[in-house]
Amino acid sequence: MAVYEVFIKKDGREEFRHAGALEAASDDLALVMAREAYLRRAEGTRLWLAPRDHLIVADAGFVEPNLDKPHRHHDGAAVAARRKSIREDAE
Amino acid sequence: MSAEAIRNTLLAFADDEHLMGQQHTEWIGVAPTLEEDLAFSSIGQDELGHAVMLYELVLEMDSIEPTDAAVDDLAYGRDASDYRSCALTEYTTDDWAETLVRHWIYDAAEELRWGLAMGSSLTGLAEVAGRAEREEVYHRLHADALLDRLLADATARDRLLIALHTILPLVPSLLVPPPGEAEAVTAGVLTGSIADLAEPLRQRIAERFATTVDPLANQDALDGRLHRSDHFAPMMTRMREVIEYDPEAAW
Repeated sequence: MAVYEVFIKKDGREEFRHAGALEAASDDLALVMAREAYLRRAEGTRLWLAPRDHLIVADAGFVEPNLDKPHRHHDGAAVAARRKSIREDAE
Repeated sequence: MSAEAIRNTLLAFADDEHLMGQQHTEWIGVAPTLEEDLAFSSIGQDELGHAVMLYELVLEMDSIEPTDAAVDDLAYGRDASDYRSCALTEYTTDDWAETLVRHWIYDAAEELRWGLAMGSSLTGLAEVAGRAEREEVYHRLHADALLDRLLADATARDRLLIALHTILPLVPSLLVPPPGEAEAVTAGVLTGSIADLAEPLRQRIAERFATTVDPLANQDALDGRLHRSDHFAPMMTRMREVIEYDPEAAW
């Protein structure tokens, strides 16, 4: 038996999303099981399965240094605040 | 053509689907794995859905509005002698290997049987056949994928072949036409008799299980689907258990 990660996609522009996992004895069985366990109520129109063994998984902590870098969040808030302030000064 | 002939022909199919669905769904909670539990009961639910569509056709013929209550009456309310099911679908087992072998054989036969209904002169039946067969593809994928895996394992293969030995004598019962079927075939309700499915089914079974003996040779006494096997009454009791609590309750 192998564990498979299940990804499903709704019709239209939505991306594939992780739906869960299941255990099966072959790829064919995994597809059938995924169809019944995750898609029987029309949850999506496309199905991907990935054997968990085939996933490339980062070590815990691998991304941690990136958690504290607010300067990379260039959402425009600082610039917008400056423009607003200049505009108000001009009025 | 007598309405009774068509009625019997539809009921034979509907009752087999109904009982097969019931047998499958009785594995809810006790199938070998959680995944199989979901898949198998879902397949059983599909079969129940097919039975409902066929019962609705019978109700239409009887000029009864096909409400849920009317379908329930037909599905659960008849005397045993008015059912047209066969020994294969009535057979109750708690052996997973037997269940699996029957699932594969029943679905192989079901594909051939819907094939007889696809070109039916009864438009409603042809539509039901198309809808059901779209689901049946996945039932066969399920049964084949399981057997592919299990027959490759020596222990599992032994268990399946023992199960096959128990199930095969029941298979000819499925191929017994109900009374009036010949008349229904002449009228185009079915494009052939269910008895004609013996040869293609024999080939499929022999190929799947690599059996050298004639898979359908062992014919028990067959009676035109007029009598129920010993398994029927206890099954009906289980099916009616909740209804019996309060037959007048609105669901």
